[in-house]
Amino acid sequence: MSPVLAARNVTKVFTTGKDQSLLAVDNLSFEIGDGEFLCLLGASGCGKSTILNMFAGFIQPTSGEVLLRDKPIVDIEPRCGMIFQSYALFPWKTVRGNVEFGLLMKGLSRAERRERAAAFIEMVNLRGFEEHYPAELSGGMQQRVTIARLLAADPEVLLMDEPFAALDAMTRQVMQEELLRIQERSGKTVVFITHSIDEALILSSRILVMSARPGRIKAVITNDLSTPRHIAVQVSPEYGKLKSTVWDLIESEVRRHSMEPAPN
Amino acid sequence: MSPVFLPKPGRVLGEGAASLASGQLLIDIWMSTQRVLLGFMLAGAVAIPLGIVMAVWAPAKAAVDPFVSLLRPLPSITWIPLTMLWLGIGEAQKIAIVFMGSWIYILLYTIESTKRVDPLLIRAARNLGARDLHVMLHVILPGALPGIIAGLKVTLAISWSCVLTAEMIAAQNGLGAVIWQGKDWGNLALVLVGMLCISIVVLLADKAAGVLERLMLPWERHTRN
Repeated sequence: MSPVLAARNVTKVFTTGKDQSLLAVDNLSFEIGDGEFLCLLGASGCGKSTILNMFAGFIQPTSGEVLLRDKPIVDIEPRCGMIFQSYALFPWKTVRGNVEFGLLMKGLSRAERRERAAAFIEMVNLRGFEEHYPAELSGGMQQRVTIARLLAADPEVLLMDEPFAALDAMTRQVMQEELLRIQERSGKTVVFITHSIDEALILSSRILVMSARPGRIKAVITNDLSTPRHIAVQVSPEYGKLKSTVWDLIESEVRRHSMEPAPN
Repeated sequence: MSPVFLPKPGRVLGEGAASLASGQLLIDIWMSTQRVLLGFMLAGAVAIPLGIVMAVWAPAKAAVDPFVSLLRPLPSITWIPLTMLWLGIGEAQKIAIVFMGSWIYILLYTIESTKRVDPLLIRAARNLGARDLHVMLHVILPGALPGIIAGLKVTLAISWSCVLTAEMIAAQNGLGAVIWQGKDWGNLALVLVGMLCISIVVLLADKAAGVLERLMLPWERHTRN
């Protein structure tokens, strides 16, 4: 079966100054299958976000191509929906208004929008908060709204750029479980960026370990830990073994990267 | 202090009560308010759409910027001779003075607030399937609105000072004319009545603008605290 998303020999160079440029992603190729939960794991500055932004069509590769169902992505692609780390909710719209946004863009009637939005608000456990503005909600609740907003717009792929990084550890744990539950139910393909090994192990079906700048694939790890990955799984010997495998791959990259000066 | 230099409060109140009773003071207040509102609304009607277009479309900004640079340093009072020549000393001339003194501020606030709309929100909207018109309606306009309204509030006070200047130079009525007549007749109490009215009316206008602002920006209540 053909992949949902693919990167073929993708290179991205950013111009940072007059005669300066930065190689963010170097000749990257990989594929993502239908319904897969892929984690891109790597130290900060390894080009993870760059890859995601190319899949969303926000930026174009310098060379090579990114494909959605075998067609190159050349413009902002609503079928690849993005969850931003900073939520990017519309502050002037209520929870309901935000969740209805994608439906409004599709030209659905007011009654249909209401009905569908209600289902997704329910799905992320925010019933009763429909008329609240984002600023009235906690970070975890805001991120739930973005998830409901994106699911309502019904993209084929969910691109998630460290979506839980700004949340406290306990909220993050709850959100991870909810995301898994939602992903199982919706069957959506997810590309999830993180720099937390635990997060990658808990969520993913496959992990792409990235090298530090320029971004290359260092290893591909199939995560076949049993699901659901409750605390019992997280303290199992298999989990520990996989975690140390991943850490061994990443450690040298982190050390290498932390010795380099920042690009900007 | 000698009452010649500063009349006693009782005299000012008496003068005020007399003008109120004759109905003349209310007419003056209403005339000034009307001139301010008309000139101010006209300025907004021109400057807000123009500012939005200039902020999102570079050629428009390039075309209008030179005029803005030339006109901006001119206080509205410098337009009085020309506007009198073109429009006489009637209502149109007062409104023109308010307009000339207000529109550039509204324009600059509008451009600035439109440009400051978070590009991430525009990106998010496009990612959710929004096209240009929807991005404008659902993201750029509401995103710029708080800044535009803040600019309108600042400009409203400026509009008031414009109308008073115009009325002091040539007008039959209005609060500026009241002050100038008081000066001409040596009636300092009347001057103070005029000044007091200006303070009260501008204060009330500002309060009313605040109420309108809260109604138009219900989400801001939460982000501000």
